[in-house]
Amino acid sequence: MSTFKEHKTIADRAAGDRTRHRQKIEKAIKESIKDVVAEESIIGQNGNKKIRIPVKGIKEHRFVYGANKNNKQVGSAQGKEVNQGQRIGHRRRQRPTEGQGDKPGNQPGEEMYEIEMSLEELAGYLFNDLELPELEKKSFKFTTQEKMKRKGKRPYGIRPRLSKKETIKQKIRRKKAAIKAGSYDPESGERFTFHESDLRYKHIAPVKKENTAAVVFFVMDVSGSMSKSKKFLARSFFFLLYQFLNHKYSSIDVVFISHTAEANEVNEDQFFTQVPSGGTLVSTGLKKVEEIVEKRYHPNNWNIYTFYCGDGDNWSIDNKESLDAFKRLKEINQAMCYTEIGKLYDYREYSLFAGGNPEKRLWDWTKLAEDKNFKRIRLQESKDIWPAFKKLFGGKS
Amino acid sequence: MADWSMEELQDWDNKICSLGKKYGLDWYPIDYEICDYKEMIGHMAYTGLPTHYRHWSFGKSFDRIQTEYNLGMSGLPYEMIINSNPSISYLMTENPMPTHVLTMAHCVGHSDFFKNNRMFAETGADTAIDRFKASGKRVKKYMEDPNIGVDAVERILDACHAIKYQVPRTPGIKRRSHKEMKEYYKRLILNDKSGRWNSFNLNKLPLEPDTNLLAFIAEHNRHLEEWERDLIRIVEQESLYFIPQACTKIMNEGWACMIHEKIVNELGIPDDYYLSFIRLHNQVVRPHLGRINPYHLGFKIFKYIEKNHGFDECLRVRETHSDESFLKNYLNEELCKELNLFSYSFHQKDGFNKITEVSGEDTWRTVRDDLIKGVGLNSIPVVMVKELLKDGTLILQHEHDGRDLELSEANKVFEHINELWPGEVRFTTIIEEETWEF
Repeated sequence: MSTFKEHKTIADRAAGDRTRHRQKIEKAIKESIKDVVAEESIIGQNGNKKIRIPVKGIKEHRFVYGANKNNKQVGSAQGKEVNQGQRIGHRRRQRPTEGQGDKPGNQPGEEMYEIEMSLEELAGYLFNDLELPELEKKSFKFTTQEKMKRKGKRPYGIRPRLSKKETIKQKIRRKKAAIKAGSYDPESGERFTFHESDLRYKHIAPVKKENTAAVVFFVMDVSGSMSKSKKFLARSFFFLLYQFLNHKYSSIDVVFISHTAEANEVNEDQFFTQVPSGGTLVSTGLKKVEEIVEKRYHPNNWNIYTFYCGDGDNWSIDNKESLDAFKRLKEINQAMCYTEIGKLYDYREYSLFAGGNPEKRLWDWTKLAEDKNFKRIRLQESKDIWPAFKKLFGGKS
Repeated sequence: MADWSMEELQDWDNKICSLGKKYGLDWYPIDYEICDYKEMIGHMAYTGLPTHYRHWSFGKSFDRIQTEYNLGMSGLPYEMIINSNPSISYLMTENPMPTHVLTMAHCVGHSDFFKNNRMFAETGADTAIDRFKASGKRVKKYMEDPNIGVDAVERILDACHAIKYQVPRTPGIKRRSHKEMKEYYKRLILNDKSGRWNSFNLNKLPLEPDTNLLAFIAEHNRHLEEWERDLIRIVEQESLYFIPQACTKIMNEGWACMIHEKIVNELGIPDDYYLSFIRLHNQVVRPHLGRINPYHLGFKIFKYIEKNHGFDECLRVRETHSDESFLKNYLNEELCKELNLFSYSFHQKDGFNKITEVSGEDTWRTVRDDLIKGVGLNSIPVVMVKELLKDGTLILQHEHDGRDLELSEANKVFEHINELWPGEVRFTTIIEEETWEF
C-alpha cells in the first residue's frame, strides 16, 4: 500500500540559502563593528583582549502581540501545585523606554548574536576591504617566510590529528544540553554515544609571513584650544589608524610628536595627557617629522605615514609655511592626512572683528596640497571616525 | 546501513495498513522516503516540501536546527509528513525499527486527518507538490534573471514573509473580486426593504475590510511588475495551504498519537519492540511543564472522547472540528483540572510572568478561553485593509482584541509593507488604550 524508497543524496539543497544567510550575518557584523570602533572601551587595548560585539540578528519580522498583562498564555503543570499570583520563570529585564531604542539587546524578541573577538580579528573584519594607499614595496626590509602554524580545531581532518580532548568536550557539551532539554535521562542507564559531529581534529595550516616595516608619525596640536574631548577624538582616530597599519604590516614604529609653537617628540602617555598651553605653529610639528625621518627612517627602507591632528586654529603667518612643509613631506610619505577636529571655524564671522580674511583658515590652505596621497578629513564626533577612515583608505563596503 | 531492511518495513506497513482500515480510517497512500539526519534537517528547514523555493530564511532555520540537534537541545522529529496525495513522509536511516513502526502508524493518523478534516478540503492535496515545484522554479528563474536578481527577489519575498499570516483564517472560502463584491452589495441594496443599506457607500474600496493583505496588494498595486505580483501570489498561496495545519495542530497531533497507540497495541510486536515503543510514546505525549504540548493535549482530549463517547465519535470529531471548536467543545472542567492548566502573563512592573488564573470550579472556562486565544492563528494579530483612498493611500487597521501589538515589530513590518505599496501607508492600532498611527 505505501511505497518506500531510499533517498538518493543529491547536493545539499540548503547550501545556497545557508551561504546567503551567512553573508547577511557577516554584513551585520561589519555594520555593528562600526558602532563599536569609536567606543572608549576598545581604545588603547592590546591585541589579545576580547571584545564583545553585539550583532543584530537577521530577524524576520511579523505582527506579534507584545508581552504584557493582557496577553495571556496557558501552560500545564500536571502533578504540581500552582496558585494565582505566583511568579513563574526567570526575571526578564524591562523593555527600554522609547528613545533609547538604539541600545541593543534588551528588547524582547530581538535576536542578538553576541560575538566575541580579539582586536586582531576585529581588525581583520574592519580592514580587509580597505587598502593602504600607494603601498610601495620597499626593497630592503622585505622577506617572506612560510611556516606551519596551529590553527585551532575543526570538525574534519585526518585520523592522526584527532583531538581526543576536544572530541570528548564536544560530547560532554552535547550530553549536558540533552539532559537540560530533557531528551536524555542520565538515570536511564542508557549510554550516551559519540556522534560523528563530536569529532574534532587539530588543524595545522601554513602561514605566509611577510616582513614589512612602516613608521607612523602622529603629530598633534596640543595648544590651548585643544580641549580634552578634542584630544579624545584624536586619540580614537590615532588608535584606529595604528590598528589598521599594524594589521597590514608585520612591524611598525610609531613616533608621537606634539607641538604648540614648538615641537617635541614625546611618548604616548605624554602625547595624550600633556597639559595644553601656548600658541600654535603647525609647521614646527611637520619640520620635526622631517628631522626624525632624516635621522632614523630612510624613505627607501621605510613606508612612512604622517597623520596630523589639530583644530585648525593656526597662526596665520604660519599657514604658508605649513603648506610648504606638507608638500615636502608628501614626497617622502606613502600617505598623509590632515585631520581637523571640531566644527569648521568660521573666520568670516571672526574677521568682522579681527579684520582677518578667510585665508586664515588652515583648512583652506591645506586644500591646495590635497591629492590622493594627502587627504583632509574633519571629525566632529566619534561617529565620524569610521566614515573618515573609509574616505582615507577607500573601503568597498 | 541500519539493522533493518526494506522488506521488514514493507511487512510492518502491510500490517499497519490493514489495522488502519479496520478502524475505518481513510488516508492517502503514503510514500516513505528514507533519508539520513542531514537530509531530515533539510526537510524540516523547508517545511517538509521537497520542491520549495529558495530563500535565505530557510538557510537560517537549517543552521538553527542543526545547531540545536548537534548540541542535543532537541531531537529530530520522528515523523514529518506532507499534506499531499500521495502523502510524502520521511524516515530517518539512523532510527531503529521500533521507531519506524511507531512513525508509520503515526503517519497513517496524519494522512487520514488531512484527507478527512473539513479544514483541508480546499488545500488541493492532489496538486500540492506540483504547485510548489512550479512556484519554486519560477522563483529560481527570477533570481537568475539578470534583469531581476537575487536581491530584488529577496526584497519582495522578505516583505511578503512579514505579512504572510495576514490572510483569511477560515479556509475554503473563495475570494471574491471587487467586481463580484460590488454586484453582491448592489443586489443586497436592491432587494432591501428595511432601508438599512441605503447609506452604504458602493464606491468604497474595499467594500468589506480585507484580511488578505497579500492578495489585496497583488490586485490593487498597479505599479507591480509581473514577477513581483507572481511572488506575492506564491507566498499567499503557500500561506493558504498551511493555514489549516496551523488551525488544527493540537487535533492533528492528538489524533495521530491516538492512532499510533491503537495500531501498535494491536500489532503484535515483539516484547523488546514494545518497550522501546512505550518509551517513545511516553516521550512524545508527555506534558511540558509550564507550556502546552499539543501532542499531549490533543491525545488526552481524544482519549477522553473515546472513553466517554466511543471511537465513532472520535472519527466524527476529527472530520468536523478545528482546534478552536475542539477545545471549546471538549476541553472540560475535568480535563482542565487533570492537566492543571493555568493562565499567565508577563507583568512588566516586576519583570516576571505571573499566574493569572488556575483551573478551578469557576475559573476553568477563563483558562480554556485564554488557551483558545493562543492556538493556531489566534496568536497572530489580525490586520486588515480598511480603505484604499483615491490618492493611493492604503489604510490598514489592526483589529484590537485586548492584546496590544509589539510596537517595535509592527514598525518593522510596516517598513516591509511600504516596500510593496507605492503610495502612502497608514496603520492604526491601539496601545494602552490609546490610538496609535504609523
